[in-house]
Amino acid sequence: MVDKRRQRDEEGEKSPRVSRFLVRRIASFWIDWLIIGFLAYGIVYLLNYYWYTVSVDWFGTLTLPPWGWPIAVVGTLEIALLCRAFGHSFGMRVLGLMTVTGDRDRPSMKERLRYYGAMHVAIVPAGVGVWLSPRSPWHERLSGIHLIPIPRRDEWSDPPPPWYGTVWGITAFVLFAMTVTLSWHITDVSLKNLIGEADKAARIWKGLFNPNFDALVADYPAPINDSILGALVETLFMALLATIFGAVIAFPLSFLGARNVMRGTKIRMGVFWIIRGFFNVFRSIESILWAMIFAIWVGWGPYAGTLALMLHTIAALGKLYSEQAEHIDPGPVEAIYSAGGGRIQTIRHAVIPQVIPPYLAFTLYRWEINVRMATVISLVGGGGIGRLLFYFKRELDWARVGAIVIAIAVVVWVLDYVSGRVRERIV
Amino acid sequence: MDGLDLRDRANELVLRLFMIFVDVALLAYLWFVGNCFFSVILYHTESYTLAPIWGVIPFVALGVGLWESFGKSAGMRLIGRYSMNERGEAPTLGQRLVHWVTWHGFIFGLVTAMNDARGRFPQELASGVWYREPHLYAAPKVPRRWYRTSLGLVAFATVVVTLGAAIGITEASLVTLFVNAGKTGKFWRELVSPDASLFGLGLKLLVETFFMAMIATACAVLVAAPLSFLAARNLSRGPVSRLIYTLIRVVISAMRSVDAIIWAIIFALWVGMGTFAGALALFIHSVADLIKLYSEQLESIDQGPVEAVASTGGNALQVIRYGIVPQILNPYLSFTLYRWDINVRMATIIGVVGGGGIGWRLFSYLKAWQFRQASTLMILIMILVWAIDYISSRLRARLM
Repeated sequence: MVDKRRQRDEEGEKSPRVSRFLVRRIASFWIDWLIIGFLAYGIVYLLNYYWYTVSVDWFGTLTLPPWGWPIAVVGTLEIALLCRAFGHSFGMRVLGLMTVTGDRDRPSMKERLRYYGAMHVAIVPAGVGVWLSPRSPWHERLSGIHLIPIPRRDEWSDPPPPWYGTVWGITAFVLFAMTVTLSWHITDVSLKNLIGEADKAARIWKGLFNPNFDALVADYPAPINDSILGALVETLFMALLATIFGAVIAFPLSFLGARNVMRGTKIRMGVFWIIRGFFNVFRSIESILWAMIFAIWVGWGPYAGTLALMLHTIAALGKLYSEQAEHIDPGPVEAIYSAGGGRIQTIRHAVIPQVIPPYLAFTLYRWEINVRMATVISLVGGGGIGRLLFYFKRELDWARVGAIVIAIAVVVWVLDYVSGRVRERIV
Repeated sequence: MDGLDLRDRANELVLRLFMIFVDVALLAYLWFVGNCFFSVILYHTESYTLAPIWGVIPFVALGVGLWESFGKSAGMRLIGRYSMNERGEAPTLGQRLVHWVTWHGFIFGLVTAMNDARGRFPQELASGVWYREPHLYAAPKVPRRWYRTSLGLVAFATVVVTLGAAIGITEASLVTLFVNAGKTGKFWRELVSPDASLFGLGLKLLVETFFMAMIATACAVLVAAPLSFLAARNLSRGPVSRLIYTLIRVVISAMRSVDAIIWAIIFALWVGMGTFAGALALFIHSVADLIKLYSEQLESIDQGPVEAVASTGGNALQVIRYGIVPQILNPYLSFTLYRWDINVRMATIIGVVGGGGIGWRLFSYLKAWQFRQASTLMILIMILVWAIDYISSRLRARLM
């Protein structure tokens, strides 16, 4: 058994085993195909737009005849294969793969052509050719070209070609250009609007630059029942409370979400995946949307905003914390463990001392983000300064809006500065 | 410590003023938030002036004086000065009393706030209590438990008062949270049964949102990359370039402090609601953020290659091309990916204030309590944000 493995490893020196790069290999191919497909789609879109002057609803209503779709699919596939055979394609570059001959030389044109032809053998029967082979895929064995991880820079004999001389460089450029062009249309960019409607914005700017600072301390009557300064303090406290409670809850959860702490039985890994899933799900929905849900739950006001911020903070801090806990030095952990310490003792004496400074830094950083978010969360009913901002915006009272925006900017700036300085000292 | 020159004496004075400022700020905070704490607890209203507002002056003046004379105040710990007598021992009670009385002269400017050539201030000369760095004079002692130190008690009071006031102000209550939990039943029920017929529209909006983030990031990079060279301190030496540096720094820190959502409000009025307004808002915020990140990277480059290219006769452009660009390319790409990630995240919610994209539709569904439709959009957002987050962090890890 051991001999066999060793033998395989020695052979692997010459022709790397399939399984080692199977995922990277397939993923890089899919990236290539998707990118070429996206480019083809963009070209058709722009052709429709400019040539036939059809306003394309860019999703689903591209008119291709029935025979057009197979051609589009096969065409993009062939182009992707050509990119892979005759250069370093984008997908290969992203996943760090390159093609070489068995002697680690640049393949000749003839070999590349053979590789291109043989790739159909591997890919057309739904990738069966990749798995059936014992050592390397069939198209590699037929052509003598291998896909290997890109070696480090100093192992290269030649200087790397400039980006415009490589397939992946050209693809990346075209991809970038296509994306910008498409976005330009899809987001309805119109510079005419931006410049032509500037007079509409003029009164906003006039208000922003002539802020009514007397408005800061004045108490406003019924619908507001607060002063701007009071609302600002309320906002700060919302962020503070959300950060403190969020951090307190995220702290124990982070250990349950750290792979190295939870490694062991299936149940532990199950808990790990549940906690990680919780972090990922709740992190990807911004707190402003949670605020709307909590506004239904506990009623409009600063409490809803605080809860929303807290939920997002738990998820975001939990993820940052647990990644930090995964990157600790294993030395002290092993020391406590080998001295007979239990799991809790290991966490208490080996993990926690290592993670305290980075945890503090993350918490401060999160507090800063929470203050930022707290100022806008009130737009949807979270209480705090944003409520006043929206109110005065509706009243078209730009001088007061200006005062509020400047007040928010000053507070955020000060916090940004202070938290940056403190974090520098901690880490 | 003998023979301090004027600069050292001035530095010492600044340190002392900073120390007093910290203590004053802490106690004033304790006063006002404490007022709020008691008004919330006793009267269920938030008032920072439950006690007469002038009360803060005697409270702070007495508090700081006593704290700095009889204990180790927060400011003292922060600047690393402890009070001790000439031999480096703890001062006697009498010395501390004299110090406390004469300290008022220092703080109110009745006695000239000047230290002598050995760094001693008038009240220290009078009382024999010195503020010194303890490790220079005294053997380290076992620190007391936190609840036996003045700082620990003040910090504890600050935390209690802050949390109490914060809970009062934000009207936080676990009772509401649990009693009203039934109100969200509809939401959770419908959240798990998303409206599949909305999938197509949702996907379309999602791609629109994605492209919004894309163009904002792409255009922001094109603007921010060249401007970052003007905003790097180490590259702006002359008076004119220093002026440009200061100008750019001030403008971008102002732009950055205003959140993208507030920018979206402004642009929604300017160019009309829609994805363009959202893209502009993200663009403005990204430009400011990227210039800051980029220029900080530029400030920390290795000067070696720059000098090497310059000494072999390279002109400014060649210095940038061969001395600077190879050093910053990877960090720049990494920051751009990071910003792209943030922009996609922000693009999903910028619609709430009229920035277009998926956020606007989601917002209106949530407002109308149509949670099945909202659920579809939320799931799509989740997938997009998670995927972008994953891709961006993987690529950034490779660039590091």
